[in-house]
Amino acid sequence: MSTKLRVIDISKRGDEVLCPVGPEDLAPLPPPYDNPEHEPAWKELSPETKERLVCNLDGVIGLSIPKPTDAAEEEEYVEKFRAGLKKLLEKNNNWTFLQPLLLSLDYCVNCQSCNDACPVFTASGRKEIYRPTYRAEVLRRLVAKYAKPGGKLFARFTHGDIELNWTTITRLYELCYRCTLCRRCAQACPIGLDNGLISRELRKLFSQELGWAPKELHEKGTVLQLEVGSSTGMNAVVVKDNIEFIDEDMEDETGIKVETPWDKEGADVLLIHNAGEILAWPENPGAFAIILNAAGIDWTLSSDGLGYDGVNYGLFYDDVQLARVTVKHAEAAKKLKVNKIVAGECGHQHKALMTISDRVLTGDLAVARESCLPLLEEIVFSGKIEFDPSKNDFPVTLHDPCNIVRNLGIVEPQRRILRYLCPQFREMTPHGVDNYCCGGGSGFAVMSPNNFADWRISVGSRVKMKQILDAFADQPGPEVKKYLCAPCSNCKGQLRDLLQYYDVLEKSNITYGGLVELIVNAMVDVKEPFIKWEMH
Amino acid sequence: MSGSILIVMSWALLAVFIVAFVLRTLRIARLPVHLRWELAPVPHEKGKSHYGGSYLEEYEWWTKPREKDRLNELFFMFQEIVFLKSVWEHNRRLWWFSFPFHIGMYVLIAAAAVLLLGGGLQLAGVESAGSGAWRDAVSLLAGVGFALGGIGALGLLGSRFADPRLRAYTTPAALFNLVLLLAVFASGALALAASQAFAGQVTGFAVALLTADFSVVLPGILAVHVLLALLFLAYLPFSRMMHFVAKYFTYHQVRWDDEPLAAGGRLEREAVRLLNQPVTWAGPHVKSDGRKNWVDVATEEMKT
Repeated sequence: MSTKLRVIDISKRGDEVLCPVGPEDLAPLPPPYDNPEHEPAWKELSPETKERLVCNLDGVIGLSIPKPTDAAEEEEYVEKFRAGLKKLLEKNNNWTFLQPLLLSLDYCVNCQSCNDACPVFTASGRKEIYRPTYRAEVLRRLVAKYAKPGGKLFARFTHGDIELNWTTITRLYELCYRCTLCRRCAQACPIGLDNGLISRELRKLFSQELGWAPKELHEKGTVLQLEVGSSTGMNAVVVKDNIEFIDEDMEDETGIKVETPWDKEGADVLLIHNAGEILAWPENPGAFAIILNAAGIDWTLSSDGLGYDGVNYGLFYDDVQLARVTVKHAEAAKKLKVNKIVAGECGHQHKALMTISDRVLTGDLAVARESCLPLLEEIVFSGKIEFDPSKNDFPVTLHDPCNIVRNLGIVEPQRRILRYLCPQFREMTPHGVDNYCCGGGSGFAVMSPNNFADWRISVGSRVKMKQILDAFADQPGPEVKKYLCAPCSNCKGQLRDLLQYYDVLEKSNITYGGLVELIVNAMVDVKEPFIKWEMH
Repeated sequence: MSGSILIVMSWALLAVFIVAFVLRTLRIARLPVHLRWELAPVPHEKGKSHYGGSYLEEYEWWTKPREKDRLNELFFMFQEIVFLKSVWEHNRRLWWFSFPFHIGMYVLIAAAAVLLLGGGLQLAGVESAGSGAWRDAVSLLAGVGFALGGIGALGLLGSRFADPRLRAYTTPAALFNLVLLLAVFASGALALAASQAFAGQVTGFAVALLTADFSVVLPGILAVHVLLALLFLAYLPFSRMMHFVAKYFTYHQVRWDDEPLAAGGRLEREAVRLLNQPVTWAGPHVKSDGRKNWVDVATEEMKT
């Protein structure tokens, strides 16, 4: 069914996979990863899984929707979807994104200028369902036919036909989780329309009306975070214990006394990490503590509410959860009477806290909010810490997290630091605001059900993999240690999985990490190498 | 066709165009303030837009003055509107037809402006406004506009069938739009070729429209062209061809809207008003009861 696939085909009823995708379809990688026989096989779905779960889009199950028990259950969800379509167009229910949504729905002329900007579409072998306009066109037709007056009379002429049924909504649900919301397509659109936003609006409809959302983002994400304080499941006692261990480890490794301040009222800076760093990359919060203490910054962490976990997965799928989490972050800062919140190395936290929430945090919740990158730049060039850039004399390249760079325009502070501290720094092509997503954007990095991990790594990260290898093309072999700097937790999670999937540390000796690790590694006072050349 | 029918039909079509155009534009403009959704590069970022940087790069950005480079914004839009820069960069195949198509329309708008100006000046008693040179200029502009527009429309129409990227997404309305415009360009070109007095006739018609002169008579092909052109105008606000208006809002009110909230400012007042609207989403976690507003659902205690 994948050849000459039409928009209306998404409505074809049944369990048939609409557009199968597999490793054999994918764009080639550079050597030594270019042998198709070495492309890892994708996880086989068991007959039981296929029997139990909906798998009708591309043969990948990212969302685990159980098959309905009967026609009545199907119809119930279809009706809910129809109600959600209408709510998407209502000012009270969707003021948050109504104008950008309507502009993107009403004015696309399907010129397809956005197509080649999408790394998922190009990496997949140009599968029609991943064309950035495909899912947007499906939503456009559904809105025209089912949510606007006279739709059934005119929509076929103005928009083309579509049928709203169980198969349409289940395929569409999976399909809106085949876009990383990187917004490269929006940059390419001559009219300024945004197919990434349409993916997010679809996710929102499913979550806010049908109660459908990936459990990694919802139950194990925002719901858990709002209940216990962190999507990692750590409560305040556990997180304090973990940070204490990290401080001790850092002291052992560097010989520098490390003490992380907690709940310091009136501090200048409330630093909020993505709490995933504390568990997966403890050297990152450790490095922050070393740098901030060495620079004499008056800073603190917060153990109140959600104040120790900057994650806000609501950004990816749900405005209500987004607002709930961001309000808790602001309340933690308000309670401590700090001057500002500084977002740690986490891209979606940056975007959620700094811009998206800007028109939610009113009155006394409008605490000043800043990226860690300008603060780090200020520290590095302040002269308060002595550096020896020769300690970082190995090839380094920079991954630009979409949420920090393309979405916030924070491009240069991290580069000025790298150009100063890393003699062999080199850019990827393209880079800066034209960067490619790591493949883990929009929550994918924490989603690995069924065979979805194979998809998000081998399709979602494919263009990024090529960029990384190209950046080190002058020294491709394992004899030279190389560092991929990714100042974002979600990106690091995805890049870790990518490098492991293709065995990149062994074949090319490329490891990855954040920016603060490179800064500490270059500190004169840190006698032993801070960066560990291992996969972690 | 009698002059009176032609004039009345033209008035009606123009009225539909004006009312629908204004209403549709206002409909977009009056949509509520939304959450920030900017996208780099933002060309008004002074000294930073060339690499896509923003004021958020500054240490304690809220303490620094924000300088906006409006000239750079205009330059960006000029390149987009006149040269279709994004299409050139991302869709070169289509640009070869889209560019003449749009330029053709711009030239025709210029011809209409010259023509209306001439008509106005003539009414005001400026005899030279209807001179031969004036009319030659209108005819030349119209000829160039019809030719470029026609080539572009024909190419875009062909692309809709020949280009598989476009074919699967082409709606009946998209084809109708292109055929209608092709008919406008073709009828105009035929009317221009059929009479050396083209500009004078169109000017005379414009004057008749303004003065309600029902005695005006146009050659058949010119009457067809005028009606097709006005039919296109009346239809325009109901079609996706209004994207030229949408483009203003997508750039200025979405991609480039990076205005931070200021305490007590207009944005904060508007945000507070919007946050006090009722939420009726039915997802179980939303816990809306039809009366709770956004503030209620965002601040209710979630801990178990």
